[in-house]
Amino acid sequence: MPSIESLNQIGLNHYLALSAIIFSFGMIGVLMRKNVIVMLMSIELMLNAVNLSFIAFSNFTANLNGQIMVFFVMTIAAAEAGVGLAIAVMIYKKFKEINIRYFEQLRG
Amino acid sequence: MMSLGPAMFYVFAAILVFFALSVIMSPNPVHSALYLVLTMISLAGVYFHLNAQFIAGVQLIVYAGAVMVLFVMVIMLFDIKQELRAFTKGLISGALKVASAAFVAGYLIGTFKDVSVGSQSASLAGNTDITKELALMLYSKYVLAFEVLGLLLLVVAVGAVAVSRVKGGTHAKH
Repeated sequence: MPSIESLNQIGLNHYLALSAIIFSFGMIGVLMRKNVIVMLMSIELMLNAVNLSFIAFSNFTANLNGQIMVFFVMTIAAAEAGVGLAIAVMIYKKFKEINIRYFEQLRG
Repeated sequence: MMSLGPAMFYVFAAILVFFALSVIMSPNPVHSALYLVLTMISLAGVYFHLNAQFIAGVQLIVYAGAVMVLFVMVIMLFDIKQELRAFTKGLISGALKVASAAFVAGYLIGTFKDVSVGSQSASLAGNTDITKELALMLYSKYVLAFEVLGLLLLVVAVGAVAVSRVKGGTHAKH
């Protein structure tokens, strides 16, 4: 059981727990939503949770490498959103609806 | 600046959890996008208190600015209304999905419970020129990765245009 002291002293594990909760929300979004755009947003949520854990580790170990890694994650997230939204545009043009179940019929 | 005090941390955590939950629960994708913007802004506040001031600014400009504008513009392009069936079918499979995500979160939190990586001793708090050190690292130790990321962004920009291109250009007859 967590003692009162561990609830009052905000340390690394609190930020990591918050990050884990946000990550699991993103995971539920990817698994349960049918709209491709909302699924992409859930992926962004997961990437942000990972960024939060990077920053927390960076702060509590006084090591700036974690912040550099967050830069890279942000860049790759932007790239991934661009490609994913382009594919969503393609699905909409073919089927007039952005449902994930049309994904497998998207040939070429 | 030290990390957040207990009360502020729990307020931020509650706000973040509420907005993140709203992103995945609201049936209207426009509302999801706006809640995601609010999540990003709250996260920028947490970064600021974790001595990552420059990252907080980048989060506001790149994520809450650029990436979310991209999302909202694509949503506007599609003329999306309230979805009747926003979630996947099946009660048992849905319960299993939520349970697996809850298991991941619980397992991670259980692992983090005993983490004590210099939680008292080390902190970036006394360091006043974090942004300068960040720039020096980015352009010396990580310069190759930085250039490769620039190349990646170029490839992605060309690829996104190539994927979503309309045959016959913008004036094509439908």
